[in-house]
This record gives sequence, C-alpha cells and structure tokens, in this order.
Amino acid sequence: MNCIEFEARLHPYVDGELAMSEMAAAEAHLAQCVNCRGAVERARRLRQLLRRQPRETAPPEFRAMIRTRIRRSARVAAIRPWLVGTATAAVLLVVTLLPGLRPGPSLVSDLVGKHITYAQIEQPAEFASQDPRTVEAWFRQRAGLRVTVSDYSPSGIRLVGGRLAETDERKAAYVLYEKGHTLMSVFMVPASARGAELSGARVSYRGHDYLTLERRGYNTVAWTDGKAVFGLVSTLDYEALLECADRLRLDRAQRSGA
Amino acid sequence: MLEWVRSGDRGREFEETALVHLDVLYRSALRFTHNRAEAEDLVQETCLRAFRGFHRFNPGTNCRAWLLTILRNEFLKRLKRAGHEVLDSDPGDHQKDATSITDDGRTGGHPEEELLQAVLHGDVDRALKALPLLNREVVVLADLEGCSYKEIAQIVDCPIGTVMSRLSRGRAQLRQLLARLGREHGYVKESE
Repeated sequence: MNCIEFEARLHPYVDGELAMSEMAAAEAHLAQCVNCRGAVERARRLRQLLRRQPRETAPPEFRAMIRTRIRRSARVAAIRPWLVGTATAAVLLVVTLLPGLRPGPSLVSDLVGKHITYAQIEQPAEFASQDPRTVEAWFRQRAGLRVTVSDYSPSGIRLVGGRLAETDERKAAYVLYEKGHTLMSVFMVPASARGAELSGARVSYRGHDYLTLERRGYNTVAWTDGKAVFGLVSTLDYEALLECADRLRLDRAQRSGA
Repeated sequence: MLEWVRSGDRGREFEETALVHLDVLYRSALRFTHNRAEAEDLVQETCLRAFRGFHRFNPGTNCRAWLLTILRNEFLKRLKRAGHEVLDSDPGDHQKDATSITDDGRTGGHPEEELLQAVLHGDVDRALKALPLLNREVVVLADLEGCSYKEIAQIVDCPIGTVMSRLSRGRAQLRQLLARLGREHGYVKESE
C-alpha cells in the first residue's frame, strides 16, 4: 500500500471500519511512513475533540410532554397492527368446545400459543377445504359440532381448512384462513357456565362490543353472543380482525334465525 | 366507527424500545435546525410518526437508525416546504476527494494541531453549523453520536462509499474551520 492508497482508507482506518483484509497492508504502510502516521494522529485528535463535546440531553419537561403525546396517541389513534417480523399470515378460526370453561387471558394465551405452533407447520389444517360449508360439515361429522365458518374471501382472506385440537384438556376446533402470508386466530367457547369473563380493552365496532388484547406480538379480538365466546388471533391488524368478527357474528345470527 | 378505549400497551412498548433514544433525536434535531423550538417540534413530529408506524419497525433491528431516518426525512420535508434546496446532489459525491493528507495537515504555515488546541467551547458548534448539510450530518452521526458507517448509510440513504467520502470532506472542512477559529482565539482568547 502506498500513500495515495492509504489516504483513501484513512477515515475507515481511524474509525475502525477498515476491512480486516486491508488492515495488515495499512499497518505495514504506516510502520514505514511518517507522513501517513501524522495524518492518522491528526484525524484521531479531531475525533477526540468532537467526542469530548458536551452531549446535550432532552429536557425533562420535553421528555414528559412527548410521553404524554404518545400515550394520548395510543388511546385515540386508529388501530394499527403489531406486525411481528414478516411472519407468514394465515387466519385461524378456533372454536373451543368445552362447556364451563372460563375464558380469560390464559385462554387467549393458549390460543396464541396454538396459533404460533400451527403457523410453523406446513399443513396446519387437519381437514383442508376452501369451501365453508364443507368445513362446517366436517366439524359436524367429525365431532358433532355446529361450527359457523364464515366466508372472508371477498376481503382476500382465504379459507384453508379446519382442525380439532386439545388445549389444556379442552377440546378446540380451529378454522384456518390465510391472507397472503399473515396469521390470525378466532375461538369460541360455549358460555354455559359462568359466562364470559374475557379481559382486555373494550372496543366498539359496528354497534357491538369486543375485547382486544395483545399477546406475544399477536392481536386478539374476543366477544360473546350469550351462547358462546369467540375470539380471533392474528398478526393482521385490529380493523381486519374486527371486520372478520363482525362477519362471523352476522353469519351466526343469520343461521340461528333461519 | 371504531372506538378505541385502550390502555397504553403499545405506548409502553414504544417508550421502552424507541423513546430511550430521545436524547439522540434531540441532539440531532438541534444540529439540523440550530433552533431549540424547531428542534423540539421536529422531535415531537418524529416521535408521533414513529409511533404511528411502529408496526413497521422490525424488532431486533436498529431502532436508533430507524428513528434517525424518520427524523431526517421529516427535516428534509420541512426544508423543501420552506423552499430550500439543500439536498441537491452534492457535487463532491462524484469527485475524488479534493483534500489530500498534505494540505489537510497545515493551515497558513501554522501547525494545525497547535491551532486546534486553541479551539474553545462553542467553536465546534459554530464550525459544524457552517458545514454543508450533507457533510455535517455524517460528521455529527459518526463523530458525535458514534454511529457506524452502515448505520449512517441507512439513515442518510446512500451507499457506504458515499458516507466515507462525505465524512472525509466534512472532517477536512471542519478541521479548516476549527483551525481558523483557533487561530483567532490564539490571539484573542478572551473573546469567547
């Protein structure tokens, strides 16, 4: 390495950003060049001078004001998703079947856990079908369950299929959907026992109340229609989840009315 | 249609992940604007934007760089709105660095290091302020905030090679400005 070549590498050298492969040649040149050693020394002095500059900090009252604004914004802002990474996204409809189950944060956590597990396996649906009626029929024949499977295809959310599963001694049925590569979970609990004791933040959407809760980076929306408790888990944003929830609620009302 | 009655879970996470970098944002905004009120307004807007877009932040990646990118973009947007054209391409980006080690090292016959000794508090601020924005921002990020070249490249949205040439130019300009101020103080030290 000569002086011109070193000069081009002076700043990366001083900043510790020089490629390891060039380091030996740079050191060898420095060992025999007093001018370049001088240049390194000067660059270091300037760096030190700059690093010694007092580092101003944000005034406490300004910091407090920012915190307040963020909290206020968190309360009133349009609901946006907590997308975790670029995770794959399928939509999972989960129906929990054991009567008397008290749904709470632990149930939601279980469902989120299941959801994460299914998101990682290649074929999360035990019974694969894109037709809602076929999946409903499968649940009826397989476990004698009347599960309402909504059609979200107009919103680009594709039905993948259904699955029955055990969650802490509770039997649960899942209906899997996917939107592109994004995941969501919905669950239902027959509300025969102590009623729904869902926790979370209350959200009103199209005249109905829902509870939202974040677990492990996933959004959950839960509600009850008096007979059962439902929930959705996904990395999809809350608006999408609430839209799906509303659709399912309407579909169920229609079925029971029919 | 959508009523959001919600505690600040998101707000808390944002505070823990992003607001820990508030000081860096604050200092950088001051270096951009040279005006406390403007800097505070800029930081506030940056924080709110970052919060609204926090779902786009990839956890585990560099939050400081992400925030500084937002700060810078917001600042540039304001400059544009005010009719400035500060970020017209820097002609130096495409030229060989004009500053060589030999002329870099001396100023008007005085050993530059002696002159730098005379740099007083406030001189660095003044000298930085006189730098062109594109060079100033990389010097501030590298030398005052200790950012890596990679981080700087992300923040100012350019290749690492460009970061290096701007840094080289910025430091040379800064050195000359500081030397000039130092020379002044060498004779009139009580002026600051």
